[in-house]
Amino acid sequence: MENSISRPNKIGRFTLGFFGNLIILFFSVTCIFPAIWLFYSSLKTKAEFHADPVGLPQAFNFNSYVYIMTKTNMWIWMMNTIRNTVLSLVLILLIGFIVGYFLSRFSFLGRKTLYSYFLIGMLVPIHALMIPMYVLFNKTGIGDQWYTLLFPYVAFGLPIAVFLVESYMHNIPKEIEEAAAIDGSSFNRTLFSIVLPMCKPILVTVGIIQFFSVWNEFTFALILISKEALKTVPVGLTIFKGQYATDYPRMMTAMLISILPAVALYFAFSKQIIKGMVAGAVKG
Amino acid sequence: MQNNSMTKPKSMTFVLYLLPSILLYTFIVFVPIVLAGYYGFFDWSGGVSKTFIGFQNYLGLFSDDEFKKSFVNNIYLTFLCIVGQIGLAFVFAAMLNSKLIKFKPFHRTMTYFPSILSAVVIGFIWNMIYDYNYGFLNTMLTKLGMSQYVQPWLNNEKMALTLVSIPLIWQFVGYYMIILMSSMAAIDPQIFEMAEIDGATGWKKARYITLPMIKNTLIVCVTLCIAGNMKVFDHIYVMTGGGPGDATNVMAMYAYKTSFVSYKMGYGSAMSIGILILSLIVIGSTRYVLTRLSREKE
Repeated sequence: MENSISRPNKIGRFTLGFFGNLIILFFSVTCIFPAIWLFYSSLKTKAEFHADPVGLPQAFNFNSYVYIMTKTNMWIWMMNTIRNTVLSLVLILLIGFIVGYFLSRFSFLGRKTLYSYFLIGMLVPIHALMIPMYVLFNKTGIGDQWYTLLFPYVAFGLPIAVFLVESYMHNIPKEIEEAAAIDGSSFNRTLFSIVLPMCKPILVTVGIIQFFSVWNEFTFALILISKEALKTVPVGLTIFKGQYATDYPRMMTAMLISILPAVALYFAFSKQIIKGMVAGAVKG
Repeated sequence: MQNNSMTKPKSMTFVLYLLPSILLYTFIVFVPIVLAGYYGFFDWSGGVSKTFIGFQNYLGLFSDDEFKKSFVNNIYLTFLCIVGQIGLAFVFAAMLNSKLIKFKPFHRTMTYFPSILSAVVIGFIWNMIYDYNYGFLNTMLTKLGMSQYVQPWLNNEKMALTLVSIPLIWQFVGYYMIILMSSMAAIDPQIFEMAEIDGATGWKKARYITLPMIKNTLIVCVTLCIAGNMKVFDHIYVMTGGGPGDATNVMAMYAYKTSFVSYKMGYGSAMSIGILILSLIVIGSTRYVLTRLSREKE
């Protein structure tokens, strides 16, 4: 068998290829199947689901969707999550870009220290900070506000952004800024209208990584927000779980709606998303 | 515009641009650590009154069996995930890099898909797979005529932790697979061709060429995997809440329960510091051992 692989033995190659393809295909299918199961189960009635949790629905039944979208707080949670995600992304990209730019371009006292200081943040296990952060936020009065979650999301999003922008800036020649300065462009103008657009590729990468981490974030949203009107989708789902413990199709509909934006984005741009997230992980 | 370059802005500009970010970052990431260290010295239920009790909370951690148990659970999960995630990811990545496998872009997209879902959704999906009455697993077992195996899976104290690790492994195999694939793709194909001429087989190529060539990436993967598993919380919170008993309790879950369910904020804070130190020790020492080991081999 072993030799058959290296020699041009067609049967051995075919068998290996056949089983290899089969195994990979099986794993790929298990990865996507839960989403498909959610989808067709969301179209079932409760009775239908109880009769056969695995089978396909007999008819399309959109009652669960109507219920989730009209009788629950799903819209509010969705809007909160969208607001948190958009604002965090804007701030992370802006601050990360500025800090990364300064760290890579200029030598100043404490530059190296500052760089390591930002990198250390990647090592801090955020779950060790739950309790003190809860206390800190409640004592300073910035807990339970519409902007509360922006603080941890931006602060913990910064290290990777700073790191990626800093290393990307090394590829951009300094002469560009010097030329701009000679032409009379002010520092601010050069920074935002010349350097920023040049960093677009790396900012897209940072944006992709942070989009999914903020969109899916659970722990901070769980402990720092207690007002119903400010909760996010992941926390909202755990509330549903308590309320509809027995109504599986309804629960599955809620889950499906909650992942829909991220899923749509993923399948539209999967190539760039995979590339971006992996680039961030390996360099980080 | 004083020293090295004409584009260097005034020091005031530096302060204006950098200070806000430094303050924000310090306030969110480091102030809580200091605070946790401070609160750890008090007997405190979150209210106005705090009683200073010295090192009692910190020393208490050493004799707290539940904390030890949850740390061991973290380590167990980490072990399973390193073997499962990185092991499977390596095998799949090697397969996908060979010419025998078809539809590569399809497999990449599909296997990576679970990585973008939230831990909450992953947890709920697997809850429904393991569910006793209407779960996917039990339904399939019944349909296949193996109803003797039907059981309330996550209530099984002996198996719960292992069952909980399956979603964790499953979710991120694709992630590590893509990382490993990109590092494998960087290996010069001529090396493989020469090895093939010398008669190396698929397995030998993987063991003696691919593995050593990507070992730095593997170390990165192992580090990511450990860091991820030392802080695992969301999945556990959703799937079992640490139960049955404390069978699936992990450090973050225990700290959460101590602080927000039993309101022992002082002890919870001390535990936070404990988690921080333990995580750094585990990550640091494995990194050290792995880098040493990989150097010695050369």
